[in-house]
Amino acid sequence: MTSVPPTHDSLQDGSLDGLTVQVRLPLDRFDLNIDLRTEKHVTGIFGVSGAGKTSLLETICGVRRQARGIIVLGEETWLDSERGVFVKPSQRHIGYVPQDGLLFPHKDVRHNLLAGRKRGVRRGHPVRRTFETAVHILELGPLLERSVHALSGGERQRVALGRALCSGPRLLLLDEPFASLDVALRRKLLPFLRRVRAEFQIPMLFVSHDPLEVQALCDDLIVLRDGTIISHGDPRAVLTASHIFPLAEQHGFENILPCYAMEGGGSTGQVRLGEGGDAERVSVELVTLRSEAQPGEALLAGIPAHDIMLATRRPEGLSARNVLPARITQLRSVDHVGLVTAELSPDLPPLTVEVTEKSFVELGLRVGSEVFLVIKATSCRLYRTGERRRT
Amino acid sequence: MSPEVLSVILLTLQVATVSTLIVLLPATVLGYVLARYEFFGKNVLSALVGLPLVLPPTAVGFLLLRLFAVDGPLGRETLGFDLNILLTWKGAVIATATMSLPLVARTAKATFEGINPRLELMAHTLGHGRLATFFQYSLPMARRGLLGAVILGFTRAMGEFGATVTIAGNIPGRTQTIASAIFSAQQVGAQARADFFMLVAIVLGFLAILSAELLGHGRALPRVARP
Repeated sequence: MTSVPPTHDSLQDGSLDGLTVQVRLPLDRFDLNIDLRTEKHVTGIFGVSGAGKTSLLETICGVRRQARGIIVLGEETWLDSERGVFVKPSQRHIGYVPQDGLLFPHKDVRHNLLAGRKRGVRRGHPVRRTFETAVHILELGPLLERSVHALSGGERQRVALGRALCSGPRLLLLDEPFASLDVALRRKLLPFLRRVRAEFQIPMLFVSHDPLEVQALCDDLIVLRDGTIISHGDPRAVLTASHIFPLAEQHGFENILPCYAMEGGGSTGQVRLGEGGDAERVSVELVTLRSEAQPGEALLAGIPAHDIMLATRRPEGLSARNVLPARITQLRSVDHVGLVTAELSPDLPPLTVEVTEKSFVELGLRVGSEVFLVIKATSCRLYRTGERRRT
Repeated sequence: MSPEVLSVILLTLQVATVSTLIVLLPATVLGYVLARYEFFGKNVLSALVGLPLVLPPTAVGFLLLRLFAVDGPLGRETLGFDLNILLTWKGAVIATATMSLPLVARTAKATFEGINPRLELMAHTLGHGRLATFFQYSLPMARRGLLGAVILGFTRAMGEFGATVTIAGNIPGRTQTIASAIFSAQQVGAQARADFFMLVAIVLGFLAILSAELLGHGRALPRVARP
C-alpha cells in the first residue's frame, strides 16, 4: 500500500463522538434492554446468534420504531422517547454495512458507492475525497464500472463498506460484514477493516462472533445474551473472562498478538512480537511456518489456547520450535477446564492457555510462577494486516 | 387494406394505449401499497381491486353503463352536463381500463413483493426519504416487472370484449375494435373478414407476449463475467 492522503475526518484528531444507547425493545423471545456508553473508536458487539445484536443495530438506525429510550451521539439526540424525539433513519448520518451487503441491483459499483452522496454533501462532508480514499484503501478501482451482479462475495462486502463511508457518516455500524464468507476469505478481508479503522476517525460498532476479528479491531467490547449486556470492557479481558470464554468455544479461543515479520530462514518464518516501538523493548521472537509476509510487515499472530503447553522446567528434546519463559498472572477454572493467563513480557498482551484441572494441581501452578510456554511453529497462525510496521 | 379495416386496428391500439396510460400510475401505487403496507381494510381493498378479474365482463360493463347512464351518478342529469361516454371510444377506454387495472395492480404488487424491503431501508439509512426512495430505488428496481405488467395490461385492453360492447357498443368506424369486429363478422358469416382480424389479433398478441418474455429474461446473466 502506498500512502493515502489524510481525510477530513482523520484531521480532527482525538476527539471522537461519544455514543449513549439506553433502549428497550420487545423482541419475540426476550426484551432488548441495553445500557451502553462508549467513547472508544471501535466497539465490538459479541454474542451467539439470536442474542439481539442485529436488533440493537437496527434500533440505532431508527428502523425499529417500537424502541423506547435514549440514543445520543455526541451532541445529536436521535431518540428520546420521553421527550418525543425521534430522528428519521434518513437523517441519522449512519453508515450501515449489513451481512448481505444489500447492494442496489440497478446501479453499478460506482453509483452504489455514491448512493449516499447527497446526504454527505448536505452535511458538508468532502465526499469526493472520501470516495477516492475509500476506493484506494478498499481496492475498488478495477470494480467501479462493474455491475454488482458480477462481484464476488468479498468484493460485494467491500463495496458495501465503501458505500457506507462515502455517505459521510458520523457513526459506522458493521453487522458481521464478513459472516457470510468462508474463513479463509474473511482473513483476507481483515486488512481492509484495519485500514478503514486507521483512516477514518468515525466511531464504529462492529458486530462479530469471531474472537480474532474482535481482538484485531476493537478497543472496547460488549457481550450480548438474550438482549442484555452481560460483559463490557477491554476485548481481551472480556473474551477470556470465565463467563464469556465458553461462548468462543466454537473454534476455541485464539490468542492474538501484534508482531512483525523478520527475515525468514528457509522452511520456517520468524516474527518479533510487539507493536511499533514496543517491539524494540520486547525481544520475544516466535518461529512460525513460512509466510508470504515481507520483512517489516505488521502481522497478527494467532495462537489457539489449546495448542499451548505449559512446563515448569525448560523442556529438552522437543520438536516444538518455541519454548518461551513466562510468568503466570491468573488461574481460573471454567467448566472443568483450567485457564492459565501468562505474560511473556509486561509490554505484551497476556496469553491464555487451556489445560486440564488436573495439570493445575499436579504442576502446582500459582500466580507468579515462572513457567515455559511450549508452542509448535505449526500452531502459530499469521494474519496479514496490510500495514507496514509502525515505529 | 381498406380504410375501414385499418380504422378498426387503429382504434383498438388507440383504446388500449390510452387505457394503459390511465391505469399505469394508480395500478403501480396500488401494487406498492398492497405489497409494503399493513393497514385496516387491506384485504377488502385487495379483494375490490381483484373483483373485475372474476366478474363476467358484461357485468362490469353493465355496472359502468348504470354509472354513466343519463340518470346515473355520473350521468347528464346528475352532473348537469354530458361526459359523452356511452357509445363512444371513451366508453371503450373506461371499460378496458377497468378490466386491466386489477391485472396490472396485481402484477405490480407481486413485483414489489419480490424486491427485498431491506434494500429500501438501506436507501433510508443513506439519507433518502420515502418519496426519493420510491422514485430512485423501488421503481427502478421494479422496472422490468412493471414493464411486464404494462404489457399484460395492454394486451388485456386490446382483447377486451364483454365490458366494451356493453358500454361502448359495436359501431363500425366509431367503437368497433378487433374483438368486436371478429364477433360481428362471424355473426354475418363474413368468413374472410373474421379470419383477417383473427390473424391480426394473433400477431399483435404474440408480439406483446414475446416482448414481455424478452424483458423478463434480458440481462439475467451478468454483463461482466466473474474473474
